Amino acid sequence: MPEDTTIRDDLIESIVARYDGEKGMLIPMMQDIQAELGYLPADPLRHLARRLDLPLSRLYAVATFYASFRLAPKGLHEVTLCVGTVCYLKGAGEIAEKICQEFQVAPGGTTPDGLFSYQPVNCVGACALAPVMIVDGEYHDGVTVEGAMTLLAALPSEEAGQDEQEAPT
Amino acid sequence: MPTVTIDDIPVDVPEGATILDAAHKAGIWIPTLCYHPAVAPQATCRLCMVELDRGDWTQLVTACNYPVRRDITVSVSSANAVAARRGVMALILARAPDNEQLQALARRMGVDTTPWPTVSVAQRDCILCGLCTAVCDEVLGKAAIGFAGRGMERAVTPPFRQASEDCIACGACAAVCPVGTIRIRYHDDSDEIEISPFKARAKLQICRACGARIVSVPAVAEALKGIDVDWDKIRQLAQVCPKCRRRQAASELAGALGGGAQNRTSDRFPSSC
Amino acid sequence: MIQASARRMTTPADLQAWRDRLVAGRSDGARRVRVCIGTGCAAKGSRKLYELFVQAAGQADAHVEAVTCVGCHGFCERGPIVVVEPGNILYQRVEEPDVPEIFRETVIGGRLVERLLYEDPGTGDKAATAEDIPFYKAQKRIVLEHNGRIDPTSIDEYIAADGYAALAKALTTMTPEETLEQVERSGLRGRGGGGFSTARKWRSCRRAPGEPKYVICNGDEGDPGAFMDRSIMEGNPHLVLEGMVIGAYAIGSSQGYIYVRNEYPLAVEHLRGAIDAARAAGLLGDNILQTGFAFDVRINRGGGAFVCGESTALMASLEGRPGEPRAKYVHTVESGLHGKPTNLNNAETWANVPAIVNHGGDWFASTGTEGSKGTKVFSLVGQVVNTGLVEVPMGITLRRIVEEIGGGVKEGGTFKAVQTGGPSGGCIPAEHLDTRVDFDELTRLGSMMGSGGMIVMDQDTCMVNVARYFLNFLREESCGKCTPCREGLAQMLHILDRITHSQGRRGDVEKLDQLAALLEGTALCALGKTAANPVLSTIRYFRDEYDAHIVDGRCPAKECRGMFRYEIDPEACKACGICLKACPVGAITGEKKVPHVIDQDTCTLCGTCLDKCPFSAVLKV
Repeated sequence: MPEDTTIRDDLIESIVARYDGEKGMLIPMMQDIQAELGYLPADPLRHLARRLDLPLSRLYAVATFYASFRLAPKGLHEVTLCVGTVCYLKGAGEIAEKICQEFQVAPGGTTPDGLFSYQPVNCVGACALAPVMIVDGEYHDGVTVEGAMTLLAALPSEEAGQDEQEAPT
Repeated sequence: MPTVTIDDIPVDVPEGATILDAAHKAGIWIPTLCYHPAVAPQATCRLCMVELDRGDWTQLVTACNYPVRRDITVSVSSANAVAARRGVMALILARAPDNEQLQALARRMGVDTTPWPTVSVAQRDCILCGLCTAVCDEVLGKAAIGFAGRGMERAVTPPFRQASEDCIACGACAAVCPVGTIRIRYHDDSDEIEISPFKARAKLQICRACGARIVSVPAVAEALKGIDVDWDKIRQLAQVCPKCRRRQAASELAGALGGGAQNRTSDRFPSSC
Repeated sequence: MIQASARRMTTPADLQAWRDRLVAGRSDGARRVRVCIGTGCAAKGSRKLYELFVQAAGQADAHVEAVTCVGCHGFCERGPIVVVEPGNILYQRVEEPDVPEIFRETVIGGRLVERLLYEDPGTGDKAATAEDIPFYKAQKRIVLEHNGRIDPTSIDEYIAADGYAALAKALTTMTPEETLEQVERSGLRGRGGGGFSTARKWRSCRRAPGEPKYVICNGDEGDPGAFMDRSIMEGNPHLVLEGMVIGAYAIGSSQGYIYVRNEYPLAVEHLRGAIDAARAAGLLGDNILQTGFAFDVRINRGGGAFVCGESTALMASLEGRPGEPRAKYVHTVESGLHGKPTNLNNAETWANVPAIVNHGGDWFASTGTEGSKGTKVFSLVGQVVNTGLVEVPMGITLRRIVEEIGGGVKEGGTFKAVQTGGPSGGCIPAEHLDTRVDFDELTRLGSMMGSGGMIVMDQDTCMVNVARYFLNFLREESCGKCTPCREGLAQMLHILDRITHSQGRRGDVEKLDQLAALLEGTALCALGKTAANPVLSTIRYFRDEYDAHIVDGRCPAKECRGMFRYEIDPEACKACGICLKACPVGAITGEKKVPHVIDQDTCTLCGTCLDKCPFSAVLKV
């Protein structure tokens, strides 16, 4: 889709300019791309590699090393489950298992129906609220297995008023 | 020059040289897997552990990258160092217990078998030494392959696990791989070379005279890139006899060194040549 | 919410004059409301409370001088926290319906709303102010002094609280060497886990040849259970900035970085705002306070990797690479970021610097023990009554922290161990509760101070499973570069998985010891070298649990599935039949009015009966 490519090209250029093309700022640049596009598609990464005169293998290494980067589109909703020590001791391990089982989603992945992306993290620093689950930026404290399942099952499967990615003709 | 006393043998090495350099000089063998003289030391396999004397304590360090900056005393054959190296080898062997190169190295180190079960998945015995990625990056300047993932998921792969656009199929990675993971395959039907398992393929340069395979076409192109040929100069030299060529070269050299052409006897071509 | 000072400070006198104006603008005894919006309280809706209080103040006839957002008090478990002045009345677990009452009774009327005050679970005594709450009484808050008191998004509030006085003092009345000397006299040791002498590090960096020099704030705080740095960066970001400027001055650096882990978005936001405000006020950037000294800071967010808390991995990340550590045979103070001399300190370490400059190194050294000076912020969490952040003088006993400040083990449990130092640390059992907390004492016990996480565990915690948990954590976070860490952790985890799943074998503990020694000697970085600590310390103090798992196939804490039995207590059983119907393998028999019985041979140990029993009659045995 040529239109998309131009938009994305402009995006890469503006992000590179934002950091004065500094190679050391590669990670913030990739974070900005992901913030804008929802994930890291291959072509924008190729473009960025060329612009920064870095091998593509470096960008791929960075994209696959850090847990926050996604190489596939994310789901409608973002679910983060803390599995840090305190949350784990309070049952987060079981919640994690159940989520993967029930919704067929792997850690770091997205449910088959694209409903939500799931990322377990090792501590969000809210240990007094353990176990903690963050859904679309909203913190839920003292989560139980049942509570988590109910929450996730109730996630709306359509975004009201969300633009669809249609290429204008 | 600092002195490294290694297993009681004193050797002088330039400042900044490594303990491994000193060991080579002293004729002492230290096992390595991720070390290769063509690339910078990585110190990731942890096989070359030696024991460094720190006065009131000792420290296990990797020989391949420990920089010698003053006189030091090192033990390669101490019980601690030997145990450390053998322990590391046992872990590596557990990853690929049937690999012949690893078995041979292990035997040489005095390790017959590994007590550990295989708990990691090694792609075709790959021990993640990183020599392939280092060579491709540092020597070829291509970085067509790199590491991806983290921890147990760490693997050597081209970007997006698809054949790399930067690979010139030169085969350097296969040449440095210590365990035979990377292999060169030839496809007769298409005159192609394939670097397995990285999926890269390229046309082969075939000898026009005898039909033998030389190397990949992109590798030839890459090599030619660096050659800068001044054809005018060559044509000029071809019209001049060896004696005059030498004289010409000498005056050019003198000029470059600041001798000044005015002090020279004429460097015009003598009419008798 | 971000207010920068209206003017740019060009001299210390300017700064003082501005401070005086701000302080004069406040009346003693004025009505103020402070609402905590730290991550913990915000998660419970405290931002809405703030809005409601702002509304109420706007509509009130009586004058309310200010309603402000403040950063983390540390008592997160009791959040949302609201403090009312005058009187410093602390209300906990405030909800939206409480706002009108608090406003009417306390803010306007000066009366207490008893039910929202902290109540001691043992005595039932109510505490009106923070000072009266046992959680805060034994604390000595130097680093956290202004947390919960000032609006972290307001440089004015920081300045009014004597903020940037240390910066002015160091830059205009002290030489870099004199500044370094004060830090030396203080005895400050790194608060991130290494415990290395801060002054020595600064001095080495100062002496190292090469330009430019960099200073870095390590805000990666990856230890699960630790949130000290989060609270400091969120609740008082200027404190960290001020410390960094002073440090940069002492070292001779003009460029700094603050590396904040990705999971702390509020900290990033507040730090960004603080940097902007400090620049606008002339306290950051070129020619600070007309001294000719220039220093600026930028923020980088982590990408989600625990290993980036390791200094060389952090620097690799700042260079746009995967966060893989490198050998430290050449120290980072000589060759660090971009191969230049680099001084990296933890956020809490930087946060201690302004106080040291203001009051002197000797003052700082008057608190603490011989080898560990000053205070330390700990995150006291887990099975303890009062969980949250505590700042205490080094040398205080573990017992005082757990019992006096923490209020003891919750729900009537028995103390079993406290885990300190995160995944690099160890578990300390009850017999050592009277240990004085300091760097060397904790290391002597087989643990370490680490970044300050203190996780309290009770009788229901299986210590073997704790070891397994930490190994799993490290295995996931290992960069995978070096053999011993990558393979060794996998082997250790494999053994612990077997042990916690009834497949332990004799010799397993010895194997764990062997692997631990190998990791310590041959791993490339501190993550790998200390990875075995949780295993080693649990073997040291809880060997009997390991033996029970391996030899008897039994989990004494009744946590490991399949390694304990379920039995029905005949006294408690009401013969309702719920468990009988729920049991997936029909292992339960019983009739009406007859206590039910589980057939141990048929039972698959799934635990459904326990989950379903409404009378808690199913026991773990």
